[in-house]
Formats: sequence, C-alpha cells, structure tokens
Amino acid sequence: MIHLYALVRGLEELPPLTGIEGAALERRQIGGLDLVVSQTGPELPPVTDEAVLAHASVVEELMARSRAILPARFGRAFANEEELTAAVQTKAPALEHGLSRVRGCVEFGLRVLGHESPRQGSTSLSGVEYMRTRLDEEAERDRLSQELHRPLALLARADARFGGASDDLLHAAYLVPDERTAAFRDRIAGLERLHPELTMVCTGPWPPYSFADSREDA
Amino acid sequence: MSARHEPVDKILASGGDLGRIASELDHVASAFPRRVNADPEQVERGLAQLVLTLVELLRQLMERQALRRMEQGTLTDDEVERMGETFMKLERRMQELKDHFDFEDKDLNLNLGPLGNLL
Amino acid sequence: MSVRDEQQLRYQVTLVELVDRVLNKGVVVAGDITLSVADVDLVYVGLRVLLSSVATLEEQRERTLAAAGARS
Repeated sequence: MIHLYALVRGLEELPPLTGIEGAALERRQIGGLDLVVSQTGPELPPVTDEAVLAHASVVEELMARSRAILPARFGRAFANEEELTAAVQTKAPALEHGLSRVRGCVEFGLRVLGHESPRQGSTSLSGVEYMRTRLDEEAERDRLSQELHRPLALLARADARFGGASDDLLHAAYLVPDERTAAFRDRIAGLERLHPELTMVCTGPWPPYSFADSREDA
Repeated sequence: MSARHEPVDKILASGGDLGRIASELDHVASAFPRRVNADPEQVERGLAQLVLTLVELLRQLMERQALRRMEQGTLTDDEVERMGETFMKLERRMQELKDHFDFEDKDLNLNLGPLGNLL
Repeated sequence: MSVRDEQQLRYQVTLVELVDRVLNKGVVVAGDITLSVADVDLVYVGLRVLLSSVATLEEQRERTLAAAGARS
C-alpha cells in the first residue's frame, strides 16, 4: 500500500529519514501537487507506537523543510498509484487552497481541564433546583471557555474547537502565523496567570494536523 | 535508521495538574486496540465499560437537551421538576455502577472528535 | 516532584497530544476492545465502526445530492 504523509509546497529535498516500517520516502507529483509517501506491505500498517512515531517524525521533518504542509493522519493509505491519483485529483482545488491557508503558520493546541466538581449530595435538591444548578454550571463553563478561547482565536488565522462528552473546559487548536507566535505565547502566559486554579496545557508548534481539512483529506 | 523516533517536547506552557492529562496515556494506548482476555471478570468489565460509556453519553445528551428546552421555556415547572428528579436519580445510579465496576469518569470518557458537536 | 518525574510527565503529555493529532484519536473511543480467549482474537467491538458509518452516510448523502444537482 502507499502510505501518505503529507502534501507539501516548496520542499527541496526529502529529509534523510525512513518512514513506516523502515520504508524509503518517495515523492509524487499529482495534479500539480507534491506528495510525500512510502510503500508499505499489502495490508494497512498496524497501529504501533513505532509506526505512529515514525509518521509523526516524517511530518515534522517535512514541515521544517517546506513552505507549506498539509499533514495526513496516520493510516491514510492507498492500494495503488491509480487510487492515490484519483483521490488527489478530485480534491486538487481544495488541497491547493488548504496549502495556501496553512502556509507560514503552525498549529498550537490548548487543553483546559475542568474542575473536578464533585456533585454535592444531590438528594437534598429538588428537581427544579437541580436543573437550575446544572444550567448555571453550564453557563459558567461556557463563559469561562469563551474568555479563554476568544483572545487566542483573535491571533489565529483559523481555529478549531473540539467538543464531545469529554470534561474539558476547552479543547482547541489554533493556526497561528509565524509572525504572531510570540504574541500567542504571551497571551497564553497571560491567561495562565489569570487562572492559576485551572489545569491548562498548551502544546506546539505542531504541523497543522487539525487544519488539513478533514473533510477533504486526500 | 531503526531507532525509535522519540517526540520532541512540545509543551509550550502548562499549569496545574499535568498528571490528569498524562494519565490519558492508558487511553491513548488503547488507540492500539486493547485486548480483554478470557478471564470472565475482565470480559464483563470490558463490556460494562462499553455499555456505561454509551449510557453516560446518552445521559449527558438527554440532560443537555432538557437544559436547552428549559432555556427556551418550553417546559412546564412540573416537567422541569420531574426531569430534574430523574436526572438526579440517573446520576446516582451511574455513580453506583461506576463504583461497582471501579470506573473513574475518565474511563468512560468518549471523545467524539469531529462529531463532538453532537453534544 | 523530581526533575526526572517532571520530564516524564512532559513526555507523556506530549505523547498524548501527538497521538491525538496523528491518529485523530477522536475516532478511537473507550469502547474499542477486542475480546479474546487464550490470546485468540474473537470479537472486535468498535464504536469506531459506528463513527465510520456516520461519515459514510454523510458522504453518500453528499454524493446523492451532488448527483441530483448535476441532473437538474
């Protein structure tokens, strides 16, 4: 199978790395787009630590050597060249747009964990009181979440918020242009100072995994 | 080059209890499919985890819907009271089940990613 | 906390975030288990299957809409 690492723009040379299962990195030109792939066995590569880390390293090295990169997630594989070509060609305009969007940017991730709020012995509450309490709790979480998110989103070219059943107060990714990364770091530091009671983790710079446009991923 | 590619430290800033995130590493390890072997207790626990995760998801979904309706004002006081009581009971029951199987909240955490907006 | 513990913690957190990105962990859920007997995998229980189906349904829907659009 042909395993895809990323679409790139402005990559001069492949990095001196091997990919998943030690396979050599290769390039493909399809529809005016530049892809970096490697060949794996006839099955999808097993999801092991080594494979995942290998994929991540390749993408990191490619980012360092390119002007723009659209990372593929692990496991984006194609049975043959025809399949790969077809997939890329149908989405070529969106992919070009995607590359332009991420050019000169990096991704930062932010996770803010909620307080571990033990529910007080709720047997003492009436049904209405319980619902009102929940409503207030929710409103407070939304407010706090926005207070953290907004100033960061303002510095980003794009942002993505991840919802879900998870307890996180905020889980988001920000596409930040290089020239604003310093301001972004400062703003994170500021938010941390404002909220010492919260567990906040900001990571990055990452290749723009969250902005590779999952709908259109090649 | 067969050396394991170690990730570079990517933490820009952090405050608070990082351990809570680091402990998700068990879950992340379950990104590599988890095996529950023959031991009947383990199998039961594995199934219980799956079931309780779904129940928890539905409970949160329903509660959130009820809160939306409450905000919109389309529920009578009586309905709100009954819903509140039901949700309290549900929450208590869930806690009992969690205690019985020795699950923490994080064990039943369902991260829906792009579909997260369901909730 | 010792320096080593601190480093270990940072490493783990980085790994959590890394895997989250590379694998789009969002689609790997707690209900992802393989039931086996004597180390033989017998049953794979995957909510992942559910999520893929939703995505497939959406894709199909989009294709149907697109085709309908093309005809009119």
